[in-house]
Amino acid sequence: MVLALITIFLFREGFGFFGQNLANLRLYRRAGLEYVDIIRGQAQTHAALSRQLGEIRLEEMRALSSGGNLEAFDQFAGAFSDSGEFLNALVSDANDQALALREALIAAGTPSAVSSAEAQPSTGIAAPIDPRASMIALRSADDKFPKIAEAMKAKIDSLLTAPPVLSNLKAKQSFESWKKKTRDYLAQLPPVSQRLREWDPDKPVPAYRAITAFLFGTDWVTASFWQDWYGIIPLLVGSIMVATVALLLAVPLGVCSAIYVSEVAARSEKSLIKPYIEFISAIPSVVLGFFGIAVVGQAVRALSQMPFMKWVPFFPISERLNVFTAGSLLALMAVPTIFTLAEDALQNVPRGFKEASYALGANRLQTIARVLVPASLSGIISAVLLGLGRVIGETMVVLLCAGNRIAIPDFTQGLGAFFQPVHTMTGIIAQEMGEVVRGSIHYRALFMVGLVLFALTLGINYLAQRLVARYRMSIG
Amino acid sequence: MIAAPSNRRRTRLVEGLLFWAFRIGTYFVLLCATYIFLDIGIKGSRTVFTRTAPFVNLTFLSEPPQTLYVFDYQGKKMELSDRQFRDWKTTHKEEVDVTSVSYSAGGIWPCIVGTALLVIGSMTLALFIGISCAIYLSEYSRDGRFIRLIRVAILNLAGVPSIVFGLFGFGLFVIFFGWNVSLLSGWFTLGLMVLPAIITASEESLRAVPQGLREGSLALGATKWQTIRKNVLPYALPGILTSSILGIARVAGETAPIMFTAAYAMRDEMPWQVSHWTNFFFQGVMALPYHIYVVSSKIPQNEYTERVQYGTAFVFLVVVMLIALTSILLREKQRRRLSW
Repeated sequence: MVLALITIFLFREGFGFFGQNLANLRLYRRAGLEYVDIIRGQAQTHAALSRQLGEIRLEEMRALSSGGNLEAFDQFAGAFSDSGEFLNALVSDANDQALALREALIAAGTPSAVSSAEAQPSTGIAAPIDPRASMIALRSADDKFPKIAEAMKAKIDSLLTAPPVLSNLKAKQSFESWKKKTRDYLAQLPPVSQRLREWDPDKPVPAYRAITAFLFGTDWVTASFWQDWYGIIPLLVGSIMVATVALLLAVPLGVCSAIYVSEVAARSEKSLIKPYIEFISAIPSVVLGFFGIAVVGQAVRALSQMPFMKWVPFFPISERLNVFTAGSLLALMAVPTIFTLAEDALQNVPRGFKEASYALGANRLQTIARVLVPASLSGIISAVLLGLGRVIGETMVVLLCAGNRIAIPDFTQGLGAFFQPVHTMTGIIAQEMGEVVRGSIHYRALFMVGLVLFALTLGINYLAQRLVARYRMSIG
Repeated sequence: MIAAPSNRRRTRLVEGLLFWAFRIGTYFVLLCATYIFLDIGIKGSRTVFTRTAPFVNLTFLSEPPQTLYVFDYQGKKMELSDRQFRDWKTTHKEEVDVTSVSYSAGGIWPCIVGTALLVIGSMTLALFIGISCAIYLSEYSRDGRFIRLIRVAILNLAGVPSIVFGLFGFGLFVIFFGWNVSLLSGWFTLGLMVLPAIITASEESLRAVPQGLREGSLALGATKWQTIRKNVLPYALPGILTSSILGIARVAGETAPIMFTAAYAMRDEMPWQVSHWTNFFFQGVMALPYHIYVVSSKIPQNEYTERVQYGTAFVFLVVVMLIALTSILLREKQRRRLSW
């Protein structure tokens, strides 16, 4: 049988890639990443510092825009950002060293790793850098870092003794909290230098890190000069958010119309609505996506800019293509699925149930709410699940309309997160598959994403089938 | 138990209100869809139809996509396609300040041809494999663990996202078999994608053929295969084909599976312009859905791109919707006739 073979092949292909991906990730980590990790952490602390500074500065500026005595604060902020200068210099130095080291290690490490495939000796490397020597050069940051930290601490301390005067109450509050954060930051500098000193390049990376880095990684950074990360979390969150919006819209509409068509509508109405909804399901997804770009995105943004929508805290939105745009279009795709299956489930409730309910004096609404819906509940739920499967697996609409920004949305905005652009699992495959080098780690990572998607939809479908099977037994 | 009159009136009111809510919900969905059809229909027909003689924009339907050149010439706004622009250059020597907009001139003929080729090939493939599978499943197989496993596999395969099929086709056909981006890879990928739907539909049609026909034929001494070929398939075939039309709509409408297995963004030669006939199978084609994707997201947007976007979307929508409509109408007709 061809079909079973296909399924098996799909699995085998997927798991083959899984193994290779794991090996690749591990090799990659061993080759150069671990050295870079701590320096990177350092760089990130610094980046966090400067970002904090920038944020506070912006806030102060905004608060003070009416007052106009920005000069003192500007001086303060300028002095503060200057204090980070040496750290910046160190980071960029270490950055260069680490990159060179990584290059050398890859050059030295790759031929030995794939020596079976390429038998010829690695003559290509002109001037092999001695890894140990450059490692020692890199490690000189161990000593430099505490010194710089010390100097910076002294500078900032002296700055903090003479803070600028702020007129605005809110600005004062945020400045207070910033001061506290800065003190915390200064306090954690010594432990960081301690960690730098303790760090050992030869410590092995456990195998499970390859899997956890993929499953729980919060970054998806590809083709960067520094370090590629393949974490599925941002994509997964994007997919789930889009699906949530779609289902929130589609479930009420789909179930409503199913109940309406099967119980309330007149016969002529029924014969019109049912084919029309089936007809909707045949709209190609790329047309819907195009429609989203051309019409819906604009409309949503225009609506959010209307004056009467002012009361919504996160309006007006800045991005035309976001979770909501994609979700509302996907809802239109999910409605026919949910409608058709839920309507089937309602029709399959034995006539006797309904008649008994009427005979007891219940009216139509009571019959629907107390008898028909409970009796067909598992069918309706499985319809919703299949709708979910369709929504999660849908590619073109999210590729065109979800905004394609690979980042976990800022949930501090509450519901506003649903109006930010995201990237999804299906979208990333479609977008990046055409451009990757075959057999590279990026390529394999995309296959892994596909496998996760496959497993997810399979799980959802399985659940739906189980529900239907159980429901048939209990009614039949 | 009889409720008090006021109570009864209230329940009736609630009932009426809720029913109206249901009704509004239903019609809201229908309205949204209608709005989409109308928007694309109206804006698209501006591209596809013309006010003058043939009423159909023949250039749009019969030429390959070209780059559009827009410039001011002696106070007049010129919009020329690639070829026209080159001709114009030979007669006019002046330098002009040209804005070029890719894909926005010419037409979509290669995309139409490509989609047609993809649909024909993959449906032939899917029907062949699908019907054989269905015959095996409903006529030959005995219920066992293996068969149950296959059925579960078919059911699950139906829910696999199309992008996963695309990925699978890319990994297997394009790379592993080395077919590259080609018609053949696209056929197989799309064919596998609609296979579950076709198997299910065919099995249903085969089941609908009454057992008596088979028994009569067997009693006359025909072998099992003769029975199936002469007495079962001819009666089941109309049903199979009817249900498969919806599969055609799906094959024509999907973008994700062909994105990296069969579709090119731009290709100058038509599919039949190949050096050797075997190369026919190993060439990529342009396809309508992929073209929509390309023109709506891969190129910078301006007022000139909208024409080709809406035009392509309109043609595509009309084609797919006609197929879907045929399928739905035929099925309704068949349902009414379904009695042996």
